[in-house]
Amino acid sequence: MNSIHFYQIVITLIAFFMIYQGANNFFRGKKGQTFLKLLIRIIVWGGMASIAFYPKLTNNIAALIGMEGNINAVILTGFILVFLMIFKILSAIERLEQQMTEVTRKETLNNLKRED
Amino acid sequence: MENLKIYIIIPAFNEEKVISNVITEIKKAGYQNIIVVDDGSEDSTFNSAKNSGIIVLRHKINRGKGAATKTGMEAAKLLKADIIVTMDGDGQHNPEDLKNLINPIINENFDVVLGTRLKNPAGMPFYKIIANWIGNFFTWYLYGLWVTDSQSGFRAYSRYAAEKINTRAARYEYDSEVIREIYKYKLKFKEIPIAVRYTEYSMGKMQKQGFLNGIKTLIKMVWNLIS
Repeated sequence: MNSIHFYQIVITLIAFFMIYQGANNFFRGKKGQTFLKLLIRIIVWGGMASIAFYPKLTNNIAALIGMEGNINAVILTGFILVFLMIFKILSAIERLEQQMTEVTRKETLNNLKRED
Repeated sequence: MENLKIYIIIPAFNEEKVISNVITEIKKAGYQNIIVVDDGSEDSTFNSAKNSGIIVLRHKINRGKGAATKTGMEAAKLLKADIIVTMDGDGQHNPEDLKNLINPIINENFDVVLGTRLKNPAGMPFYKIIANWIGNFFTWYLYGLWVTDSQSGFRAYSRYAAEKINTRAARYEYDSEVIREIYKYKLKFKEIPIAVRYTEYSMGKMQKQGFLNGIKTLIKMVWNLIS
């Protein structure tokens, strides 16, 4: 068996902590925690820990998505995941902004109705 | 015309220095139904406008020019307006142009009349003309309707148009969204040249549509299409 490198331990500890935190939030029923969020956490952090311990997994990923270089496949997958996360965050911010505007408008118009 | 309820909407953010004059000028031009929407100003815009004896609404927090304009439009609809005109609060629009914007709605049955600075750009800085053309291009490219001043805030709407137009943009992309709505609902519109009074005051305001805000507006327009 190959020796374990320091970075593998660090990545595994971080991944374990992140998954534990997500599972803890989910099972305690913390507000805004959904099964989908937990699943994403497990896939992202679990995937990182798996690749840290079994780098050959990247070859399988490369074969699966039809790319020759395994590193390219990992980077591409990472980019897609980051892009999806940014998209989701921006959508959430936009939704909140609109809700804030709606609440502000409603209150303003209620004041007008009261004065009328 | 006398029986028609015409409301003038002025979104205002930190305009305490000029808002009273803007209101006085509009009253002198013969329009008494004025709604100022103070968009969470940090100065005394609200009190200055209130002292002029008109309807003044206040957003508790700043939500942007588009959001304030929409609030004003909603308020005018509640007050049973027949015609709604929007104009800027910094005094750059000349109230003498109000009748030119309103008449086509009354006499020619137009739904929307857009004030355009580009048909008579005298006094308009060159970079603003270029910026406007870029804005017009992207508005046409993204929303499908060519107009000569997609960023003008001086516009008049019939009751029918005000009921149809539904925007969600909070900031400067609001003006372009209105163009999209005109195209979407096939509203009958006309462009009327307006005079613009660029003053040191209006040109110096930080929150005006500058280059960076223009880029932000464009990003928002694209984002609203894909999100």
